[in-house]
Amino acid sequence: MKGPLAKTAILLVGMYVFLKFVLPLVTAPLPASLIFLYLALTLASAMIFYTMSGGSLDEFMGPVGRFLTGSGQAGVAGTARILVFVVFPLLVGWQTYTRLAPSDMPPAENRTIHPAPPGEFVGLANPYPTTPENVMMGKGLYAAFCSPCHGANFDGKGPAAVGFNPPPANFSDPGTIAQLQESYLFWRIKKGGVGLPVEAMPWKSAMPRWEVELPDEWIWKIIMGEYDGAGQSPRTWEEEE
Amino acid sequence: MGYKKIFNVALGLTLMVTGVGASCVFASDPPPEGGAGSVAVRLFLTEGAVPADDPNAAVWNTIQPAEFKLAPQVHWPDRIQEVTVKSVNVRGIHNGQDLAMLLEYADPSEDAADAAAIEFMVGDKMAHFAHGQEMLQVEGGDVNIWYWKKEHGKATDMTAKGFKTLRPQENQNVSATGAWQDGIWRVVFSRPLQTGDEQDVQVTPGEWRNVAFAFWDGEIVDGAVKEKGSQKAVSSWWYFRAEPPPDNSIYGYVVLGIVLAAGFEFFLVRKIRRGNES
Repeated sequence: MKGPLAKTAILLVGMYVFLKFVLPLVTAPLPASLIFLYLALTLASAMIFYTMSGGSLDEFMGPVGRFLTGSGQAGVAGTARILVFVVFPLLVGWQTYTRLAPSDMPPAENRTIHPAPPGEFVGLANPYPTTPENVMMGKGLYAAFCSPCHGANFDGKGPAAVGFNPPPANFSDPGTIAQLQESYLFWRIKKGGVGLPVEAMPWKSAMPRWEVELPDEWIWKIIMGEYDGAGQSPRTWEEEE
Repeated sequence: MGYKKIFNVALGLTLMVTGVGASCVFASDPPPEGGAGSVAVRLFLTEGAVPADDPNAAVWNTIQPAEFKLAPQVHWPDRIQEVTVKSVNVRGIHNGQDLAMLLEYADPSEDAADAAAIEFMVGDKMAHFAHGQEMLQVEGGDVNIWYWKKEHGKATDMTAKGFKTLRPQENQNVSATGAWQDGIWRVVFSRPLQTGDEQDVQVTPGEWRNVAFAFWDGEIVDGAVKEKGSQKAVSSWWYFRAEPPPDNSIYGYVVLGIVLAAGFEFFLVRKIRRGNES
């Protein structure tokens, strides 16, 4: 396995293993299309390298040319050649079919889960102090108004949660309210699903517009109860500086 | 080998390898995930008449249902915390002129006030699934609701854009028939795909549209109907599509692709052989 062709093959296999299996250990997995692009670039680089001189070019392309023309081949090599010539057009045909065949999948939805809030809600501070009484009241209000969907355990698994798409937020997940400021929750609870911007697909959200039913004071206390019950802390301005 | 000849071989080989590679790599991309339950109803294309008035027609049993989980309506007052109908199986069929959708769901008792409804967005504007209620940052559209109630024995074609705006349309295009047996309701709704009525959803084969469902258990409990008005089981928006007619031109393109690939191989080998001879 000393020839340039074998070296190129080993390089491609090594590159694939690295991109597919090693790289995901330190970062997010790469999409198949990106892996393919990198492999194509690797192949192109190898070909440019080996075609820089006549000698290396002959070494590199000689076996390929002999394989394709079938000169002096018999047995396994001859069969492999025929196989390649049959399989390649079939792959092209299959690829054409999968690209053109009608799909049964509905359009993909890229819904933004935490869109930017309107300006008037940015930076609002909870006007009520975090006292045990206020937290207690907030939890009671949460139990009455929020827990049917968001769950008694603040995990988004209330009895009414099944069937909603998008599902109710799981507050115990570090990716939800722990990433948000109290002012953000105030906006989301007050204006509900219908208050979302277009990128968050407001037409799909079952979150009520609580401002028509609850006073602001209750909403602020519900926020306190939510953070306390879910064991999370709101994100603050200080942390962002 | 001369440089030109070698360059041609290299170019051909690159194209071949990248072509095969692309086939393998792109084909291995996983399909989008739908999560629990179904995400879409497929209205299968048939050549015959659709079973517009027959919830027990044999053809329904040949169609794979889509299942949608249902939730109590908690979005606006009067809310309800628990509902009878927990999920619905939906089957669809069309013949290019008319469509029929069969809703099949468990309800232990047959009651006069039992009811079912299908909701659609109308036109191109997105509408909120709760009766097309007002959205604050997005201009929403109307919803078209097909409503069936056991005691009415027929469907009502309705329109809404916001709460308290639900009203029957002037042009009634929808029919519905329900049959209850052994704790299962089977309700079939039908309508022409196209009605020309701008208040109606217009169904074009091949086009994805939004759909949602609602159910009421009309059982009398303590002298009152258990579920009525906004107290109902609801689904979110999902998708449906009337299956388009088969497009056989695809197979023509497949054959063309195979012929072109084989031709490429032939000319590549011929070119290399000629190069070798010279």
